[in-house]
Amino acid sequence: MEILRIDQLSKTYGSGETKVEALKEASFSVSRGEFVSIVGQSGAGKSTLLHLIGGLDTPTAGRVIIDGMDIYTLLEEELAVFRRRSIGFIFQAYNLVPELNVEENMVLPLLLDYKKPDGRFIDELLDILGLTDRKHHLPGQLSGGQQQRVAIGRALATRPTMILADEPTGNLDSKNSREVMNLLRLSVERFNQTLLMITHNQNYATLADRVFQVEDGLVRELGGQ
Amino acid sequence: MNHYLALVPKYLAAHRKKTRLVIISVAISVALITGVFSMLDVFFQFEKIQVIHDYGNYHIAVLDASEQETQTINSRIDVQNSGTWRTLGSARLNGVTCELGALDQQFAGNLNVELIQGHYPTDRNEIMLEQWAAQSRQLNLVIGDHVQLSFPDGLEKEFRVSGLYRDLGVMKAQGIPGVFLSVNGTHDLQRAEKSIFLIEFKNGVNIRKAEQEIKADLGITEDRIDRNNHLLALMGQSDHNAVLDFYKVGAVLFALVLIAGVLMIYNTFNISVMERVRQFGMLRCIGTSQTQIKKLVRREGLAITLRAIPIGVLAGMVMTLICCAILKYYNHSLFGTIPLLNFSLVGISAGIGIGFLTVLIASFLPARKAARVSPINAVTGSNEIKTPDQKKPGWLMRRFKVEIAMGINNAWQTRRTFWLMASSIAISIILFMGFQVFVDFLYTGLKTTKPYTPDLSLTSAQGLPSDLSARLGNVEGVDRVYGRMFAHVEATFEADKLTDSYKESINRIETKENGLLVPLERSWLISYDKQQMKWARSDLIDGVFTEEQLNQNQGIIAVALNQRNNASTETANWQVGDKVYLETRDGTKEFTVVGVLRSVPFNDSEFNLATFITSEKLFTEITGQNAYDCLDLQISGQNQEKTVQGIKSLLSEDITFLDARQRNAEVNQAFITMAVFIYGFLAVIALISIINIFNTMSTSVVAKTRYLGLMRAIGMSWRQLCRMVLAESATYSLTGSVIGCFLGVVLQRFLINSWLVSFHVLWHFPLGQLIGIAIFISVITVLSVIGPLKKTKKMAVAEVVQAF
Ligand SMILES: Nc1ncnc2c1ncn2[C@@H]1O[C@H](COP(=O)(O)OP(=O)(O)O)[C@@H](O)[C@H]1O
Ligand SMILES: [Mg+2]
Repeated sequence: MEILRIDQLSKTYGSGETKVEALKEASFSVSRGEFVSIVGQSGAGKSTLLHLIGGLDTPTAGRVIIDGMDIYTLLEEELAVFRRRSIGFIFQAYNLVPELNVEENMVLPLLLDYKKPDGRFIDELLDILGLTDRKHHLPGQLSGGQQQRVAIGRALATRPTMILADEPTGNLDSKNSREVMNLLRLSVERFNQTLLMITHNQNYATLADRVFQVEDGLVRELGGQ
Repeated sequence: MNHYLALVPKYLAAHRKKTRLVIISVAISVALITGVFSMLDVFFQFEKIQVIHDYGNYHIAVLDASEQETQTINSRIDVQNSGTWRTLGSARLNGVTCELGALDQQFAGNLNVELIQGHYPTDRNEIMLEQWAAQSRQLNLVIGDHVQLSFPDGLEKEFRVSGLYRDLGVMKAQGIPGVFLSVNGTHDLQRAEKSIFLIEFKNGVNIRKAEQEIKADLGITEDRIDRNNHLLALMGQSDHNAVLDFYKVGAVLFALVLIAGVLMIYNTFNISVMERVRQFGMLRCIGTSQTQIKKLVRREGLAITLRAIPIGVLAGMVMTLICCAILKYYNHSLFGTIPLLNFSLVGISAGIGIGFLTVLIASFLPARKAARVSPINAVTGSNEIKTPDQKKPGWLMRRFKVEIAMGINNAWQTRRTFWLMASSIAISIILFMGFQVFVDFLYTGLKTTKPYTPDLSLTSAQGLPSDLSARLGNVEGVDRVYGRMFAHVEATFEADKLTDSYKESINRIETKENGLLVPLERSWLISYDKQQMKWARSDLIDGVFTEEQLNQNQGIIAVALNQRNNASTETANWQVGDKVYLETRDGTKEFTVVGVLRSVPFNDSEFNLATFITSEKLFTEITGQNAYDCLDLQISGQNQEKTVQGIKSLLSEDITFLDARQRNAEVNQAFITMAVFIYGFLAVIALISIINIFNTMSTSVVAKTRYLGLMRAIGMSWRQLCRMVLAESATYSLTGSVIGCFLGVVLQRFLINSWLVSFHVLWHFPLGQLIGIAIFISVITVLSVIGPLKKTKKMAVAEVVQAF
């Protein structure tokens, strides 16, 4: 079942001399439950692609259809609601709210949706992420790996259909990276989520069901059909 | 935490220092508004008492009202009190010239005629006189004494002293006793020169409307109506042009206070929001909608306001309290009825209302801005709202050391913050300079005692003995003795010099062939000694005023505001170098105007063509007179009565002794009432400006903590860091000061030239103020960044980098 379809998606930054064609007419689709990894040189356009899929930026041309819905036809307000319900973001820089503790950071997207957090589910997540005894700590009191796990927890808390991760292990050492990767895989399988992950690490790329390579704004599937 | 808005208190609690700065910012703005408006409110209360004391408690007056008119007006429901005041001109009381009047007893309180002994004159042959007069050497009267009143037309009548009333400063200073007859007594005499029917309306009456009705009902013409404009002005019921002009100045300045308050709160919120672009971006990434971001920001504004408003209101009330305390301490008898703790409803509600309103507005715009933050800001790590690309200011690098160039660049880079900071400083300066015009008004518009104001004056029609001055100087307690000679002389000059208004009033100006005026009126000539010239110099419009210059050049000083018929009238446009021809003992002589003086502090009842001053030597050469007509004395504060006795013992019968001390004190009192508030306003504004600038600067450093840590991490030395931060702050304050001073000067000029001219306030370039402001701002800039910088130094670099 198709969850994501990208249609002739292009993004151009700037104009004239400073014009950068970051993404050139990318088209592909992804099915529910797939683990897609995106590789490519720095500056190739990977993040641009991910941002457009997540509705963080607006494309120059083309469409992004998630769950049968063209997200760029949504109003700003609807897009925000859509984002907090259907998409979980994980960034290289963890981007936690420094004033909130681990648990609060995780439930924030739910609160934004005026939902009462499911305590058991959150506890389960905390357990999976190995943060149970840290749930009252502030981000500043955690290590990088722990912070990234909180970010993953936050992305999972709303049980989004799709998780978008931009070099989630980029700031972590290999041990922590492995842990985080395992966690991501685990949760994706467990909750039947779709994962799009940008990575530099060839090993993690091979864990994926499908691998896309981005080069100079052009997207191509490796070993693709 | 079970609602996303709980993020707000958590954020505020986590950033205690920043929150505190923001709260202070809002609180001082609220304090500014509360303070200024409470003070304004209280000012009106004090000033009303002062004005009633100085000018009487009546609103309008009808001249020569008939019996029927007074009765009709009296029966009006909106009239609180009324009474007729009759003046009967001068007469001689046991040989002493006095002024006669009569006043209905029920209105005596309104005109501050206060009986202190005996009873109010009611019988035909009863009179009441001032205490000082009764006790004077010439009269020496007690209650029950019989006195002889002789009228100019030869009528003589015997009266009995029924009461004594409190001294009137003005009468005492002139040495003319004010004597009240009974109302019945005046009917007998049938000599009323003028009869004025005074009306005090009830509270809340629309006086203009009531006046119109009275005029229409009784067919009273405008020229028979007189108004107590000072009192009406304070009640906002005056049509008087000068008053309205003054109100306009007030309105502009108080509107400015509101704008400043709003701007200061707005800036604070704006800066605090813009520092968090990245965080808002991140919140947007995880699905916070724009509405929710707006709510978050507004909630934050509300949380801060709720804490800031009570502080601000309280602070504003304290400021008002201080003003009240000073005035009550200064004149307890006059202001005893005003409570020390004045809960000014106007001020407090203005503070609270404007505070809330402003936060609403001020957090609305930043909230919109925050909501517009693109989620991309979070991922790209950009912490600024994108500004258009700009050229790197290479010239900065070339001209300054790298850290200074960076500082300036930091300031300039985030345009919005830059303008907010600069405008914050600028508005403080503009406000301060704007209110400064009240100080100018205070000194020129309100007559007050000057260095030359005498405590006592001696005059004699025969001229004072030439050795008296020296003998008086030896009396213990006499600080200064200075004399003047007066004469009326024939003077002429070019007829072109005359003002149009004078020409109109005379309507037949004759000139000789050489263009000189054929004078129809004489001019007033006054002699000054060295000391008086020195005092007068501060009032010099043009030229010089020294004894040497006058004596060497056959010089005279022309007075711009000529004293004519007891009023100041500009009759000629004087310029240094003008020639004046005076009839002297040795024929007509040419004199040169070496200086132009604004005015003289004396009155003359003659219709003078012009007023001139010259040295004693030239005066004697011109007139032949060398005895002083008037001697002024200043006496020291202690043992005044003993000094006065000592002086009096030296005086012969023909010398009139005038005591101006009470009048001076009253004049000073009016001045001080005004001054306490005007300086109060200025102090509040200065204080708030200082805190505001201090706070904004600190905020900008605190906000940069992480950046500064990074700079340290990459090897910037502590000194370099300080220089960088100072360069940045200096960029803000310099820009703010330049803009503020420029607009401040423009505002001052505008206010004075358009509305204060009628009060003789002149606009000067405020160089002194500008220098003061420059020094002040520099000091504050340095002080305000040093504190937070020192704290940054104490923190370990790693800690700083993490503190995000
Ligand atoms: N906001 C932007 N403005 C201009 N150019 C941008 C912007 N964001 C990204 N780019 C450019 O687009 C290209 C792709 O960037 P990005 O998608 O971040 O690459 P990657 O994530 O693959 O390293 C790069 O050349 C980058 O410089
Ligand atoms: Mg990238």
